Amino acid sequence: MILERLGKELIYFDGGTGTLLQEKGMKPGELPEIWNLTHAEEMVDIHRKYYEAGSDIVLTNTFGANALKFHSSEYSLEDIVTAAVANVKKGASLGVCDNREVYTALDIGPTGKLLKPMGDLSFEDAYEAFREVALYGERAGADLIHIETMSDTYEVKAAVLAAKENTKLPVFATMIFDEKGKLLTGGDVPAVVALLEGLRVDALGINCGMGPEQMLPVLDKILEYASVPVIVKPNAGLPKQKDGAVYYDVTPDEFAKVMRKIVEKGASAVGGCCGTTPEHIRKMIQTTADIRVCAEREPKCHTIVSSYGKAVQLGGKPVIIGERINPTGKKKFRQALKEHDVDYVLREGISQQDAGADILDVNVGLPDIDEPALMREIVMELQSVTSLPLQIDTVDGKALSAAMRIYNGKPMVNSVNGKQESMDLVFPLIKRYGGVVVGLTLDENGIPDTAEGRADIAGKIIEEAKKYGIPRKDIVIDVLAMTISSDPEGAKTTLEALRMVRERYGVCTILGVSNISFGLPFRPAVNSNFYTMAMQAGLSAGIINPLSEDMMRSYYSFCALMNYDKNCETYIERYSMQTEALKTPAGGEIPLRTAIEKGLKEEAHHAASLLVKTQEPLFIINEQMIPALDAVGKGFEKGTVFLPQLLMSADAAKIAFAVLKDALEKSGKTEQKKEKIVLATVKGDIHDIGKNIVKVLLENYSFHVIDLGKDVSPEVIVETAVKEDVKLVGLSALMTTTVGSMEDTIKLLHERKPDCRVMVGGAVLSQEYADMIGADFYGKDAMQSVYYAQNLLKE
Amino acid sequence: MDTRTKEAVRYLGYGRHAVDDTIMTLIESSFAELNKIVQYRITYRIFELEVPDSDNVKIGELKIRSKNLAKNLRGCDQAVMLGATLGIEVDFLMKRYSLTEMSRVVVLQACAAAMLEEYLDKWQKELSGKMREKGYYLRPRFSPGYGDFCMDYQKDILRMADTARRIGLSITDGNMLTPSKSVTAVIGMSTEETACHRAGCEACEKSDCMYRRSSV
Repeated sequence: MILERLGKELIYFDGGTGTLLQEKGMKPGELPEIWNLTHAEEMVDIHRKYYEAGSDIVLTNTFGANALKFHSSEYSLEDIVTAAVANVKKGASLGVCDNREVYTALDIGPTGKLLKPMGDLSFEDAYEAFREVALYGERAGADLIHIETMSDTYEVKAAVLAAKENTKLPVFATMIFDEKGKLLTGGDVPAVVALLEGLRVDALGINCGMGPEQMLPVLDKILEYASVPVIVKPNAGLPKQKDGAVYYDVTPDEFAKVMRKIVEKGASAVGGCCGTTPEHIRKMIQTTADIRVCAEREPKCHTIVSSYGKAVQLGGKPVIIGERINPTGKKKFRQALKEHDVDYVLREGISQQDAGADILDVNVGLPDIDEPALMREIVMELQSVTSLPLQIDTVDGKALSAAMRIYNGKPMVNSVNGKQESMDLVFPLIKRYGGVVVGLTLDENGIPDTAEGRADIAGKIIEEAKKYGIPRKDIVIDVLAMTISSDPEGAKTTLEALRMVRERYGVCTILGVSNISFGLPFRPAVNSNFYTMAMQAGLSAGIINPLSEDMMRSYYSFCALMNYDKNCETYIERYSMQTEALKTPAGGEIPLRTAIEKGLKEEAHHAASLLVKTQEPLFIINEQMIPALDAVGKGFEKGTVFLPQLLMSADAAKIAFAVLKDALEKSGKTEQKKEKIVLATVKGDIHDIGKNIVKVLLENYSFHVIDLGKDVSPEVIVETAVKEDVKLVGLSALMTTTVGSMEDTIKLLHERKPDCRVMVGGAVLSQEYADMIGADFYGKDAMQSVYYAQNLLKE
Repeated sequence: MDTRTKEAVRYLGYGRHAVDDTIMTLIESSFAELNKIVQYRITYRIFELEVPDSDNVKIGELKIRSKNLAKNLRGCDQAVMLGATLGIEVDFLMKRYSLTEMSRVVVLQACAAAMLEEYLDKWQKELSGKMREKGYYLRPRFSPGYGDFCMDYQKDILRMADTARRIGLSITDGNMLTPSKSVTAVIGMSTEETACHRAGCEACEKSDCMYRRSSV
């Protein structure tokens, strides 16, 4: 068994196959995987040479063998994979002469496509493609699965899950980093290690992209964070070109010399990638023969949560977890969730990031809501607008599982507690998907009154987690802040428990800070002081409102005082201007109409706030805002106002509208009923700027826009139009390739909802084109769509 | 105004109209924000090239039917196939602002396009210098979508330059590049210098385009 040897003795992989295949006559453009069937003898010969050179593990020639990349009418994937495994095994039977135990690794490479939300490949489709290959590989007799050359954390997650959930084989995963230690999609070493170890891979590391020398600094970083055995498979240097061919020029001797350094640093399994040959491997093995016993490596104890591009470490400088994505006690937020206003939720995320949050708590629990579906959607959407790691906050096991599955990174999970039922539900999910879990110190008997009692429950949670192989570093204890208005000793108990838990178990801690002042007047004063006290007692992460200046003042002051803020730089940057009195916007007092026409956002906000004190919102809209928007719109038509200005005005108007809406709500009045319009970018199209421009303008003209997003199937658009009974649908397409799906959508709409009109727009369209595909209206620019909607729906 | 600012203004559709101070501030801050996050990446490979007649081109094993490309490459015997990108963070940034400030999205989009072109120009100038030493002259870049050079060939260029692995540049089923601020192109290499080859925008036949350089 490979796992019994891995990490104890040095394991050797094979090297590249590309160069060898070319030598054997493979033409550029040919699919290498087909050679498993058409040139089996040559393939066996290549594998044999690596076994002769001394490799313990040889990879199958299946790098591109997945349904998304491999398209052949002649050969089935299953036959390819089966033959590929057989070829390696045959190579072993011919090439291994010393009776040593060797292994066949099923090679899985990337799909060559970018996953949603930025690409068009869904996580599920990627998973399915990998699952298929993994199943064939196990059936054919592979000994392990080696996922390699990945440059996207999301794709590697799909591949690892597919391998682990569908086979019993050990799973290794290696990724391409650049010299700066980053993935092409932005992730860094701590983020990648946290993700892969969370997914319970058996080994991880780096391959391709660079030569051995360039990999050294990245390897140092990997070894600093990884607890599992580390794999290193460099290219034979950086690629060079001559006479149309790519080549690599690090010689076997040079390669071997650096590989020795790599092994001495602590790599447990080594081999080669592009440009390396059996000779490189032979030399590498000779050069490292005297150090075949791996030095034991300590398990690392960093508590890390990650997103696609960012890792946040707990335990050092206190971390801020933004609490605002939560419906509890927030009328507007509840309303947004009920109306499925995803944008509202996303804006709550963005504003907290801008205010300094490190992690965002996400809670969308409401009665009568499909929480698993909504949680999944919000988590996905949030990850397309913020790189902050998320804390999935729910008591619904299904919602937790759904969100953890599609989360890109290693999430924080809020929460588990000392009740057996809770631990039975949450720990299996942590084991499966990885995550740092918040452990609440309460159990079947409630919340203990004493610090001692709470620390005991923390201990119980840590012990139970151990049974699942969940290390202590992945547990963050919440000793619970109880309001001092009902429990006078509450704050003292919490602070004492914080200290106790850190001392006793060495784990990180977390607190929902603002509970402490519940029921008291002027809560920010109590909250911010308690926050400081908690940080002083060892709080690793406070769940707070980062938009509260009181809390942030405590935070920045604490960081400056405790030397977490080097030379007080952040503090100075933030507060050096504080001595100046708050002033009106730079432009001074400007009438609302002018502010909107000029696209001045702050001024528009200021002017609207002043006006609303003396005038009715509806009056302001009709007398100031609509005329301003009309004037700008006319200018745009005449060619005196350009798109950026049109949109600046729209942005300013949007802000003023928000002020008026607040005022309306405060006065207990509701807005007028708005006409609904569905907007979508059609299936296959992932560019949505045009659609978003139209959306902003339509909203300013008081339409209720149901935005279905981009890459939307005809069925979804039609279903929504029918369900919401809308009279107008706007579709956008950027390129000729997607006009076809626009046509399909229009046909289906006219068939299923004949009273609904369709307006279309987008770079590729023209009046002729629009007529041809049966659209009711072609908007050559965004304002035209507004006029059409007004004529159609408001007359 | 520097070149990339001028180009960004052109992409925003201003033609010869002046840009006011507010928009100029927006453009400047957009460039500043992009500067912090763009990851300039480029990869290319050189292939044998044949231009058998005025309709057809053969690059490596790839056969392309395009009059405009054939015209651009006439007299060349090698071709550079390239992919370049500003990276995925630009898409994230634009998505983020589309929720809060749409005007900035439009400006970011124009600025990013200008940065990508500027980067490619600079890179091509360097490559041109290197190739001159080997006796080759470079033609202007020619991308799928120019004239009758069909967008479908993007896929082939990406495959031949191995962009997914090297720079993380891939394509959707609908032929859209991901990350979105990316370019694929062909550059002809000839042993003879061609005088005054028209490049980019000016080479396009659509002379009434509102985005045209030095348009009316």
